[in-house]
Amino acid sequence: MPRLLAIGILLGLWQLLVVVGVKSPAGLALPGPGDALAKIGDLARQGVLYPALLNTLRRAATGYALALLVGTVIGLAAARIPVLRAAVGSLLAGLQSLPSVVWVPIAALFLVAGGQDENAMYFVVIMGAFPSIAMGVLSAYDHIPPLHFRLARSLGARGPQLYRHFIISAALPGYVAGMKQAWAFSWRSLMAAELIIGSLASSGLGSLLDNGRSLGDLPLMFAAVLTILVVGIAVDDVIFTPLERGLLRRRGLLAT
Amino acid sequence: MSAVALAPQALRIAGTEPVVRLQRVTKVYGHGRAAIPALDDVSLVVGKGEFLCIVGASGCGKSTLLSLIAGLDRATAGRIESPVARPAMMFQEPALLPWLTVRRNVELPLRLRRVEPTERSVRVNRLLNMVGLIDFADSRPHQLSGGMRQRVALARALAQDSELLLMDEPFGALDAITRDALHEDVTRIWEETGRSIVFVTHNVREAVRLGDRVVLMTSRPGRVGRLWDVDIARPRSLDAVEVAALATEITARLRLEVGSDTTQ
Repeated sequence: MPRLLAIGILLGLWQLLVVVGVKSPAGLALPGPGDALAKIGDLARQGVLYPALLNTLRRAATGYALALLVGTVIGLAAARIPVLRAAVGSLLAGLQSLPSVVWVPIAALFLVAGGQDENAMYFVVIMGAFPSIAMGVLSAYDHIPPLHFRLARSLGARGPQLYRHFIISAALPGYVAGMKQAWAFSWRSLMAAELIIGSLASSGLGSLLDNGRSLGDLPLMFAAVLTILVVGIAVDDVIFTPLERGLLRRRGLLAT
Repeated sequence: MSAVALAPQALRIAGTEPVVRLQRVTKVYGHGRAAIPALDDVSLVVGKGEFLCIVGASGCGKSTLLSLIAGLDRATAGRIESPVARPAMMFQEPALLPWLTVRRNVELPLRLRRVEPTERSVRVNRLLNMVGLIDFADSRPHQLSGGMRQRVALARALAQDSELLLMDEPFGALDAITRDALHEDVTRIWEETGRSIVFVTHNVREAVRLGDRVVLMTSRPGRVGRLWDVDIARPRSLDAVEVAALATEITARLRLEVGSDTTQ
Protein backbone atom coordinates (compact mmCIF):
# COMPACT_ATOMS: atom_id res chain seq x y z
CA MET A 1 0.00 0.00 0.00
CA PRO A 2 1.59 3.27 -1.14
CA ARG A 3 -0.42 5.06 1.50
CA LEU A 4 1.10 3.12 4.41
CA LEU A 5 4.53 3.79 2.95
CA ALA A 6 3.84 7.54 2.82
CA ILE A 7 2.67 7.52 6.45
CA GLY A 8 5.76 5.53 7.41
CA ILE A 9 8.07 8.02 5.73
CA LEU A 10 6.28 10.94 7.40
CA LEU A 11 6.57 9.37 10.85
CA GLY A 12 10.24 8.59 10.10
CA LEU A 13 10.98 12.22 9.26
CA TRP A 14 9.16 13.33 12.38
CA GLN A 15 11.20 10.91 14.50
CA LEU A 16 14.37 12.19 12.81
CA LEU A 17 13.61 15.75 13.95
CA VAL A 18 13.18 14.41 17.50
CA VAL A 19 16.49 12.54 17.35
CA VAL A 20 18.24 15.66 16.03
CA GLY A 21 16.88 17.37 19.14
CA VAL A 22 14.64 20.15 17.86
CA LYS A 23 13.50 22.40 20.73
CA SER A 24 11.09 25.31 21.02
CA PRO A 25 12.63 28.74 21.90
CA ALA A 26 11.34 28.16 25.42
CA GLY A 27 13.40 24.99 25.57
CA LEU A 28 10.60 22.44 25.28
CA ALA A 29 11.67 19.31 23.41
CA LEU A 30 9.70 18.21 20.33
CA PRO A 31 7.70 15.10 21.22
CA GLY A 32 7.98 12.12 18.89
CA PRO A 33 5.24 10.06 17.26
CA GLY A 34 5.50 7.55 20.10
CA ASP A 35 4.89 10.26 22.71
CA ALA A 36 1.86 11.53 20.81
CA LEU A 37 0.39 8.04 20.41
CA ALA A 38 1.00 7.29 24.11
CA LYS A 39 -0.76 10.54 24.98
CA ILE A 40 -3.75 9.56 22.86
CA GLY A 41 -3.87 6.31 24.88
CA ASP A 42 -3.71 8.27 28.15
CA LEU A 43 -6.50 10.60 27.02
CA ALA A 44 -8.66 7.64 26.13
CA ARG A 45 -8.07 6.00 29.55
CA GLN A 46 -8.75 9.26 31.39
CA GLY A 47 -12.11 9.53 29.62
CA VAL A 48 -11.18 12.80 27.93
CA LEU A 49 -10.76 11.65 24.33
CA TYR A 50 -14.20 10.22 23.57
CA PRO A 51 -16.32 13.08 24.93
CA ALA A 52 -14.14 15.56 23.02
CA LEU A 53 -14.34 13.44 19.86
CA LEU A 54 -18.11 13.07 20.17
CA ASN A 55 -18.65 16.78 20.79
CA THR A 56 -16.59 17.64 17.76
CA LEU A 57 -18.23 15.05 15.50
CA ARG A 58 -21.68 16.17 16.59
CA ARG A 59 -20.83 19.77 15.73
CA ALA A 60 -19.29 18.73 12.45
CA ALA A 61 -22.33 16.65 11.46
CA THR A 62 -24.86 19.31 12.43
CA GLY A 63 -22.90 22.17 10.86
CA TYR A 64 -22.26 20.16 7.72
CA ALA A 65 -25.91 19.16 7.36
CA LEU A 66 -26.98 22.80 7.68
CA ALA A 67 -24.33 23.86 5.13
CA LEU A 68 -25.59 21.14 2.79
CA LEU A 69 -29.13 22.46 3.06
CA VAL A 70 -28.19 26.12 2.61
CA GLY A 71 -25.73 25.37 -0.21
CA THR A 72 -28.10 23.09 -2.12
CA VAL A 73 -30.99 25.54 -1.99
CA ILE A 74 -28.83 28.50 -3.05
CA GLY A 75 -27.04 26.46 -5.73
CA LEU A 76 -30.24 25.08 -7.27
CA ALA A 77 -31.94 28.46 -7.24
CA ALA A 78 -28.92 30.13 -8.85
CA ALA A 79 -28.66 27.35 -11.46
CA ARG A 80 -32.26 27.79 -12.63
CA ILE A 81 -32.66 31.57 -12.21
CA PRO A 82 -30.24 33.57 -14.41
CA VAL A 83 -30.67 36.84 -12.46
CA LEU A 84 -29.80 35.11 -9.21
CA ARG A 85 -26.79 33.45 -10.79
CA ALA A 86 -25.48 36.78 -12.04
CA ALA A 87 -25.99 38.19 -8.55
CA VAL A 88 -24.38 35.46 -6.45
CA GLY A 89 -22.06 33.61 -8.85
CA SER A 90 -18.86 35.59 -8.23
CA LEU A 91 -19.81 36.18 -4.60
CA LEU A 92 -19.83 32.42 -4.00
CA ALA A 93 -16.39 32.02 -5.58
CA GLY A 94 -15.14 34.84 -3.33
CA LEU A 95 -16.66 33.29 -0.22
CA GLN A 96 -15.13 29.96 -1.14
CA SER A 97 -11.62 31.42 -1.20
CA LEU A 98 -12.20 33.40 2.00
CA PRO A 99 -10.57 31.54 4.91
CA SER A 100 -13.46 30.78 7.18
CA VAL A 101 -11.35 31.51 10.26
CA VAL A 102 -12.17 35.19 9.60
CA TRP A 103 -15.73 34.45 10.74
CA VAL A 104 -14.55 33.23 14.15
CA PRO A 105 -14.04 36.64 15.80
CA ILE A 106 -17.37 37.85 14.42
CA ALA A 107 -19.16 34.74 15.64
CA ALA A 108 -17.42 35.14 19.01
CA LEU A 109 -18.62 38.70 19.31
CA PHE A 110 -22.23 38.16 18.27
CA LEU A 111 -23.02 34.63 19.36
CA VAL A 112 -20.55 33.47 21.99
CA ALA A 113 -20.95 36.66 24.00
CA GLY A 114 -24.71 36.05 23.91
CA GLY A 115 -24.17 32.54 25.31
CA GLN A 116 -24.73 30.84 21.96
CA ASP A 117 -21.42 28.97 21.83
CA GLU A 118 -22.71 26.06 19.73
CA ASN A 119 -24.46 28.35 17.28
CA ALA A 120 -21.20 30.23 16.82
CA MET A 121 -19.53 26.96 15.80
CA TYR A 122 -22.32 26.10 13.37
CA PHE A 123 -22.16 29.58 11.88
CA VAL A 124 -18.44 29.25 11.15
CA VAL A 125 -18.88 25.76 9.68
CA ILE A 126 -21.77 26.87 7.46
CA MET A 127 -19.87 29.89 6.20
CA GLY A 128 -16.88 27.68 5.46
CA ALA A 129 -18.72 24.86 3.72
CA PHE A 130 -21.85 26.13 1.98
CA PRO A 131 -20.06 27.97 -0.88
CA SER A 132 -18.44 24.68 -1.97
CA ILE A 133 -21.82 22.96 -1.98
CA ALA A 134 -23.50 25.75 -3.94
CA MET A 135 -20.62 25.93 -6.44
CA GLY A 136 -20.78 22.14 -6.77
CA VAL A 137 -24.49 22.32 -7.60
CA LEU A 138 -23.91 25.12 -10.13
CA SER A 139 -21.09 23.38 -11.95
CA ALA A 140 -22.90 20.03 -11.85
CA TYR A 141 -25.95 21.66 -13.41
CA ASP A 142 -23.85 23.34 -16.10
CA HIS A 143 -22.29 20.02 -17.04
CA ILE A 144 -25.59 18.26 -17.77
CA PRO A 145 -25.43 17.49 -21.53
CA PRO A 146 -27.86 19.72 -23.49
CA LEU A 147 -29.06 16.53 -25.21
CA HIS A 148 -30.54 15.36 -21.89
CA PHE A 149 -32.68 18.49 -21.77
CA ARG A 150 -33.78 17.94 -25.37
CA LEU A 151 -34.65 14.35 -24.54
CA ALA A 152 -36.57 15.48 -21.46
CA ARG A 153 -38.56 17.92 -23.58
CA SER A 154 -39.28 15.38 -26.27
CA LEU A 155 -40.49 12.94 -23.59
CA GLY A 156 -42.66 15.70 -22.18
CA ALA A 157 -40.99 15.85 -18.75
CA ARG A 158 -41.31 19.13 -16.94
CA GLY A 159 -41.49 20.56 -13.42
CA PRO A 160 -40.92 17.97 -10.68
CA GLN A 161 -40.50 15.17 -13.26
CA LEU A 162 -37.69 17.08 -14.95
CA TYR A 163 -35.89 17.39 -11.60
CA ARG A 164 -36.56 13.86 -10.44
CA HIS A 165 -35.72 11.93 -13.58
CA PHE A 166 -33.14 14.14 -15.26
CA ILE A 167 -31.55 17.03 -13.36
CA ILE A 168 -30.91 15.48 -9.94
CA SER A 169 -29.46 12.21 -11.22
CA ALA A 170 -27.40 13.90 -13.92
CA ALA A 171 -25.97 16.39 -11.45
CA LEU A 172 -25.21 13.85 -8.72
CA PRO A 173 -21.49 13.17 -9.45
CA GLY A 174 -20.66 16.89 -9.52
CA TYR A 175 -22.75 17.40 -6.42
CA VAL A 176 -20.88 14.68 -4.52
CA ALA A 177 -17.56 16.23 -5.60
CA GLY A 178 -18.79 19.49 -4.06
CA MET A 179 -19.89 17.63 -0.90
CA LYS A 180 -16.43 16.10 -0.58
CA GLN A 181 -14.72 19.45 -0.86
CA ALA A 182 -17.23 21.01 1.52
CA TRP A 183 -16.39 18.35 4.11
CA ALA A 184 -12.72 19.41 4.01
CA PHE A 185 -13.74 23.05 4.42
CA SER A 186 -16.20 22.39 7.23
CA TRP A 187 -13.68 20.28 9.15
CA ARG A 188 -10.99 22.95 9.06
CA SER A 189 -13.52 25.68 9.85
CA LEU A 190 -14.72 23.76 12.88
CA MET A 191 -11.17 23.24 14.12
CA ALA A 192 -10.45 26.97 13.82
CA ALA A 193 -13.64 27.73 15.72
CA GLU A 194 -12.96 25.18 18.47
CA LEU A 195 -9.36 26.31 18.82
CA ILE A 196 -10.31 29.93 19.36
CA ILE A 197 -13.69 29.86 21.07
CA GLY A 198 -13.83 26.20 22.07
CA SER A 199 -12.67 26.66 25.66
CA LEU A 200 -15.87 28.54 26.41
CA ALA A 201 -18.06 25.76 25.05
CA SER A 202 -18.05 22.10 25.97
CA SER A 203 -14.68 20.73 25.00
CA GLY A 204 -13.81 19.29 21.58
CA LEU A 205 -10.67 18.24 19.71
CA GLY A 206 -9.78 21.86 18.97
CA SER A 207 -9.99 22.81 22.61
CA LEU A 208 -7.71 19.88 23.52
CA LEU A 209 -5.10 21.46 21.28
CA ASP A 210 -5.65 24.85 22.92
CA ASN A 211 -5.37 23.28 26.39
CA GLY A 212 -2.08 21.70 25.36
CA ARG A 213 -0.78 25.08 24.28
CA SER A 214 -1.75 26.88 27.50
CA LEU A 215 -0.40 24.08 29.69
CA GLY A 216 2.83 23.77 27.69
CA ASP A 217 1.91 20.09 27.21
CA LEU A 218 3.47 19.37 23.83
CA PRO A 219 2.51 15.67 23.65
CA LEU A 220 -1.11 16.74 24.21
CA MET A 221 -0.86 19.21 21.33
CA PHE A 222 0.54 16.62 18.98
CA ALA A 223 -1.98 14.03 20.15
CA ALA A 224 -4.75 16.48 19.26
CA VAL A 225 -3.26 17.28 15.84
CA LEU A 226 -2.90 13.58 15.03
CA THR A 227 -6.49 12.84 16.08
CA ILE A 228 -7.84 15.76 14.02
CA LEU A 229 -5.90 14.57 10.98
CA VAL A 230 -7.03 10.95 11.32
CA VAL A 231 -10.71 11.85 11.82
CA GLY A 232 -10.65 14.18 8.80
CA ILE A 233 -9.20 11.47 6.58
CA ALA A 234 -11.42 8.73 8.02
CA VAL A 235 -14.66 10.60 7.32
CA ASP A 236 -13.55 11.19 3.74
CA ASP A 237 -12.53 7.54 3.37
CA VAL A 238 -15.61 6.02 4.97
CA ILE A 239 -18.30 8.31 3.56
CA PHE A 240 -17.34 10.45 0.60
CA THR A 241 -14.85 8.41 -1.38
CA PRO A 242 -17.05 5.25 -1.54
CA LEU A 243 -20.08 7.41 -2.41
CA GLU A 244 -18.22 9.06 -5.28
CA ARG A 245 -16.65 5.86 -6.58
CA GLY A 246 -19.96 3.98 -6.47
CA LEU A 247 -21.66 6.70 -8.49
CA LEU A 248 -18.93 6.85 -11.10
CA ARG A 249 -18.60 3.07 -11.42
CA ARG A 250 -22.29 2.62 -12.15
CA ARG A 251 -22.01 5.16 -14.97
CA GLY A 252 -18.89 3.59 -16.42
CA LEU A 253 -16.78 6.66 -15.63
CA LEU A 254 -14.22 4.82 -13.55
CA ALA A 255 -11.31 2.73 -14.81
CA THR A 256 -11.00 -0.82 -13.35
CA MET B 1 -43.57 -7.85 -51.71
CA SER B 2 -45.92 -8.41 -48.80
CA ALA B 3 -49.31 -6.86 -48.40
CA VAL B 4 -48.19 -5.26 -45.14
CA ALA B 5 -45.41 -3.44 -46.93
CA LEU B 6 -47.80 -2.21 -49.58
CA ALA B 7 -50.38 -0.93 -47.17
CA PRO B 8 -48.80 2.39 -46.14
CA GLN B 9 -48.33 3.57 -49.71
CA ALA B 10 -51.77 2.46 -50.69
CA LEU B 11 -53.23 4.35 -47.77
CA ARG B 12 -51.35 7.50 -48.69
CA ILE B 13 -52.48 7.29 -52.28
CA ALA B 14 -56.01 6.68 -51.09
CA GLY B 15 -55.72 10.10 -49.44
CA THR B 16 -56.21 9.21 -45.78
CA GLU B 17 -55.58 11.81 -43.13
CA PRO B 18 -51.91 12.84 -43.04
CA VAL B 19 -49.91 12.41 -39.85
CA VAL B 20 -48.06 15.68 -40.42
CA ARG B 21 -48.77 18.53 -42.79
CA LEU B 22 -46.20 21.32 -43.18
CA GLN B 23 -47.44 24.41 -44.96
CA ARG B 24 -44.95 27.03 -46.16
CA VAL B 25 -42.75 26.55 -43.10
CA THR B 26 -39.86 28.98 -42.70
CA LYS B 27 -37.26 29.03 -39.96
CA VAL B 28 -34.79 31.86 -39.41
CA TYR B 29 -32.21 31.83 -36.64
CA GLY B 30 -31.23 35.21 -35.18
CA HIS B 31 -32.47 38.67 -36.13
CA GLY B 32 -31.62 41.51 -38.50
CA ARG B 33 -28.29 41.29 -40.29
CA ALA B 34 -27.18 38.28 -38.25
CA ALA B 35 -30.26 36.34 -39.33
CA ILE B 36 -29.53 32.93 -40.83
CA PRO B 37 -32.33 31.35 -42.85
CA ALA B 38 -32.41 27.61 -42.13
CA LEU B 39 -35.64 26.61 -43.86
CA ASP B 40 -37.46 28.48 -46.58
CA ASP B 41 -41.05 27.83 -47.60
CA VAL B 42 -41.11 24.11 -46.92
CA SER B 43 -44.38 22.30 -47.64
CA LEU B 44 -44.61 18.59 -47.07
CA VAL B 45 -47.18 15.97 -46.19
CA VAL B 46 -46.37 12.78 -44.33
CA GLY B 47 -49.03 10.12 -44.81
CA LYS B 48 -50.29 7.88 -42.07
CA GLY B 49 -48.12 4.77 -41.86
CA GLU B 50 -45.62 6.21 -44.33
CA PHE B 51 -41.84 5.79 -44.11
CA LEU B 52 -40.50 9.11 -45.38
CA CYS B 53 -36.76 9.74 -45.75
CA ILE B 54 -35.25 13.19 -46.00
CA VAL B 55 -31.77 13.47 -47.53
CA GLY B 56 -29.56 16.49 -48.00
CA ALA B 57 -26.08 17.83 -47.52
CA SER B 58 -24.85 18.75 -44.04
CA GLY B 59 -26.37 21.99 -42.84
CA CYS B 60 -29.34 21.91 -45.24
CA GLY B 61 -31.77 22.25 -42.37
CA LYS B 62 -33.05 18.68 -42.29
CA SER B 63 -32.43 18.35 -38.55
CA THR B 64 -34.08 21.72 -38.02
CA LEU B 65 -37.11 20.43 -39.88
CA LEU B 66 -37.28 17.44 -37.55
CA SER B 67 -36.95 19.64 -34.44
CA LEU B 68 -39.88 21.72 -35.69
CA ILE B 69 -42.07 18.66 -36.23
CA ALA B 70 -40.99 17.34 -32.81
CA GLY B 71 -42.06 20.61 -31.20
CA LEU B 72 -38.56 21.17 -29.80
CA ASP B 73 -38.29 24.39 -31.79
CA ARG B 74 -40.75 26.93 -33.20
CA ALA B 75 -41.19 27.86 -36.85
CA THR B 76 -40.67 31.52 -37.81
CA ALA B 77 -43.53 31.34 -40.31
CA GLY B 78 -45.90 28.78 -41.76
CA ARG B 79 -47.97 26.05 -40.19
CA ILE B 80 -47.30 22.57 -38.93
CA GLU B 81 -50.44 20.51 -38.41
CA SER B 82 -50.53 17.09 -36.86
CA PRO B 83 -53.07 15.04 -34.94
CA VAL B 84 -50.14 13.52 -33.02
CA ALA B 85 -49.69 15.33 -29.70
CA ARG B 86 -46.09 14.40 -29.10
CA PRO B 87 -44.00 12.64 -31.74
CA ALA B 88 -41.33 10.21 -30.51
CA MET B 89 -37.78 11.25 -31.31
CA MET B 90 -34.55 9.37 -31.90
CA PHE B 91 -31.41 11.48 -31.91
CA GLN B 92 -28.08 11.10 -33.67
CA GLU B 93 -26.65 9.96 -30.35
CA PRO B 94 -28.50 7.35 -28.28
CA ALA B 95 -29.02 9.92 -25.48
CA LEU B 96 -29.47 7.17 -22.89
CA LEU B 97 -29.36 8.12 -19.24
CA PRO B 98 -26.09 6.59 -17.98
CA TRP B 99 -27.33 6.08 -14.41
CA LEU B 100 -30.24 3.86 -15.48
CA THR B 101 -30.17 0.24 -16.63
CA VAL B 102 -31.37 -0.67 -20.12
CA ARG B 103 -34.75 -1.68 -18.68
CA ARG B 104 -35.17 1.59 -16.78
CA ASN B 105 -34.16 3.65 -19.82
CA VAL B 106 -36.83 2.00 -21.96
CA GLU B 107 -39.32 2.29 -19.10
CA LEU B 108 -38.78 6.04 -18.69
CA PRO B 109 -41.48 7.28 -21.12
CA LEU B 110 -43.98 4.93 -19.40
CA ARG B 111 -42.98 6.19 -15.95
CA LEU B 112 -43.38 9.78 -17.07
CA ARG B 113 -46.91 8.92 -18.23
CA ARG B 114 -47.55 7.15 -14.90
CA VAL B 115 -48.27 3.74 -16.42
CA GLU B 116 -48.74 1.11 -13.71
CA PRO B 117 -45.68 -0.97 -12.73
CA THR B 118 -47.09 -4.36 -13.80
CA GLU B 119 -48.14 -3.07 -17.20
CA ARG B 120 -44.81 -1.23 -17.50
CA SER B 121 -42.80 -4.38 -17.01
CA VAL B 122 -44.87 -6.36 -19.51
CA ARG B 123 -44.49 -3.71 -22.15
CA VAL B 124 -40.79 -3.14 -21.55
CA ASN B 125 -40.17 -6.87 -21.90
CA ARG B 126 -42.05 -6.89 -25.17
CA LEU B 127 -40.07 -3.93 -26.51
CA LEU B 128 -36.74 -5.40 -25.42
CA ASN B 129 -37.65 -8.63 -27.18
CA MET B 130 -38.53 -6.64 -30.27
CA VAL B 131 -35.06 -5.05 -30.44
CA GLY B 132 -33.33 -8.27 -29.31
CA LEU B 133 -31.95 -6.93 -26.06
CA ILE B 134 -33.93 -8.83 -23.43
CA ASP B 135 -30.72 -10.48 -22.19
CA PHE B 136 -29.19 -7.07 -21.57
CA ALA B 137 -32.12 -5.64 -19.61
CA ASP B 138 -30.05 -5.13 -16.47
CA SER B 139 -26.90 -3.85 -18.18
CA ARG B 140 -25.95 -0.21 -18.11
CA PRO B 141 -25.49 1.84 -21.28
CA HIS B 142 -21.70 2.02 -20.96
CA GLN B 143 -21.52 -1.78 -21.11
CA LEU B 144 -23.19 -1.89 -24.54
CA SER B 145 -21.86 -1.42 -28.09
CA GLY B 146 -22.92 1.58 -30.20
CA GLY B 147 -25.46 -0.46 -32.15
CA MET B 148 -27.00 -1.89 -28.99
CA ARG B 149 -27.31 1.59 -27.50
CA GLN B 150 -29.21 2.78 -30.55
CA ARG B 151 -31.46 -0.27 -30.22
CA VAL B 152 -32.23 0.76 -26.64
CA ALA B 153 -32.97 4.28 -27.90
CA LEU B 154 -35.30 2.76 -30.52
CA ALA B 155 -37.13 0.73 -27.87
CA ARG B 156 -37.45 3.86 -25.72
CA ALA B 157 -38.86 5.82 -28.66
CA LEU B 158 -41.39 3.03 -29.28
CA ALA B 159 -42.34 3.13 -25.60
CA GLN B 160 -43.59 6.66 -26.19
CA ASP B 161 -46.52 5.10 -28.02
CA SER B 162 -46.57 7.87 -30.55
CA GLU B 163 -47.99 7.26 -33.98
CA LEU B 164 -45.14 9.30 -35.44
CA LEU B 165 -41.48 8.42 -35.01
CA LEU B 166 -38.85 11.02 -35.93
CA MET B 167 -35.32 9.76 -36.52
CA ASP B 168 -32.41 12.20 -36.86
CA GLU B 169 -29.50 10.35 -38.53
CA PRO B 170 -29.70 7.67 -35.82
CA PHE B 171 -27.29 5.26 -37.49
CA GLY B 172 -24.71 7.73 -38.76
CA ALA B 173 -22.05 6.71 -36.26
CA LEU B 174 -22.40 2.94 -36.72
CA ASP B 175 -20.30 0.55 -38.79
CA ALA B 176 -21.76 -0.85 -42.00
CA ILE B 177 -22.71 -4.30 -40.67
CA THR B 178 -24.39 -2.98 -37.53
CA ARG B 179 -26.20 -0.37 -39.57
CA ASP B 180 -27.50 -2.99 -41.97
CA ALA B 181 -28.86 -5.05 -39.06
CA LEU B 182 -30.59 -1.95 -37.67
CA HIS B 183 -32.10 -1.17 -41.08
CA GLU B 184 -33.67 -4.62 -40.99
CA ASP B 185 -34.94 -4.08 -37.44
CA VAL B 186 -36.44 -0.70 -38.21
CA THR B 187 -38.15 -1.99 -41.35
CA ARG B 188 -39.56 -4.99 -39.47
CA ILE B 189 -40.76 -2.89 -36.54
CA TRP B 190 -42.31 -0.35 -38.91
CA GLU B 191 -44.19 -3.14 -40.67
CA GLU B 192 -45.29 -4.72 -37.38
CA THR B 193 -46.38 -1.55 -35.61
CA GLY B 194 -47.71 0.49 -38.54
CA ARG B 195 -46.13 3.71 -37.28
CA SER B 196 -45.28 6.64 -39.48
CA ILE B 197 -41.58 7.41 -39.67
CA VAL B 198 -39.71 10.52 -40.78
CA PHE B 199 -36.07 9.54 -41.17
CA VAL B 200 -33.34 12.13 -41.76
CA THR B 201 -30.00 11.06 -43.22
CA HIS B 202 -27.18 12.27 -45.47
CA ASN B 203 -26.74 8.70 -46.74
CA VAL B 204 -28.74 8.40 -49.97
CA ARG B 205 -28.55 4.58 -50.15
CA GLU B 206 -29.87 4.33 -46.62
CA ALA B 207 -32.79 6.56 -47.60
CA VAL B 208 -33.60 4.45 -50.67
CA ARG B 209 -33.28 1.20 -48.73
CA LEU B 210 -35.70 2.36 -46.04
CA GLY B 211 -38.20 4.84 -47.42
CA ASP B 212 -41.53 4.79 -49.24
CA ARG B 213 -40.57 8.22 -50.49
CA VAL B 214 -37.30 10.15 -50.49
CA VAL B 215 -37.25 13.93 -50.20
CA LEU B 216 -34.14 15.76 -51.36
CA MET B 217 -33.53 19.02 -49.55
CA THR B 218 -31.47 21.84 -51.04
CA SER B 219 -29.06 23.84 -48.93
CA ARG B 220 -28.94 27.35 -47.49
CA PRO B 221 -31.77 27.91 -47.05
CA GLY B 222 -33.30 24.45 -46.88
CA ARG B 223 -36.04 23.85 -49.43
CA VAL B 224 -37.75 20.75 -50.71
CA GLY B 225 -35.83 20.01 -53.90
CA ARG B 226 -37.41 16.88 -55.30
CA LEU B 227 -39.45 13.88 -54.26
CA TRP B 228 -39.01 10.29 -55.37
CA ASP B 229 -41.42 7.43 -54.84
CA VAL B 230 -39.42 4.32 -54.04
CA ASP B 231 -41.29 1.55 -55.83
CA ILE B 232 -38.89 -1.20 -54.87
CA ALA B 233 -40.22 -4.37 -53.27
CA ARG B 234 -39.32 -5.07 -49.66
CA PRO B 235 -37.28 -6.68 -48.23
CA ARG B 236 -34.66 -4.49 -49.86
CA SER B 237 -30.93 -4.82 -49.63
CA LEU B 238 -28.39 -2.02 -49.71
CA ASP B 239 -26.64 -3.79 -52.58
CA ALA B 240 -29.77 -4.47 -54.69
CA VAL B 241 -29.48 -3.19 -58.26
CA GLU B 242 -32.68 -1.12 -58.07
CA VAL B 243 -31.59 0.47 -54.79
CA ALA B 244 -28.20 1.32 -56.26
CA ALA B 245 -29.74 2.73 -59.43
CA LEU B 246 -32.15 5.07 -57.66
CA ALA B 247 -29.44 6.07 -55.18
CA THR B 248 -27.16 6.99 -58.07
CA GLU B 249 -29.90 9.14 -59.60
CA ILE B 250 -30.59 10.94 -56.33
CA THR B 251 -26.88 11.38 -55.59
CA ALA B 252 -26.33 12.97 -59.00
CA ARG B 253 -29.08 15.44 -58.18
CA LEU B 254 -27.61 16.05 -54.71
CA ARG B 255 -24.19 16.75 -56.29
CA LEU B 256 -25.79 19.38 -58.50
CA GLU B 257 -27.26 21.05 -55.43
CA VAL B 258 -24.00 20.98 -53.49
CA GLY B 259 -22.10 22.18 -56.56
CA SER B 260 -24.40 25.15 -57.14
CA ASP B 261 -24.09 25.97 -53.46
CA THR B 262 -20.29 26.10 -53.44
CA THR B 263 -20.04 28.15 -56.63
CA GLN B 264 -22.18 30.91 -55.18
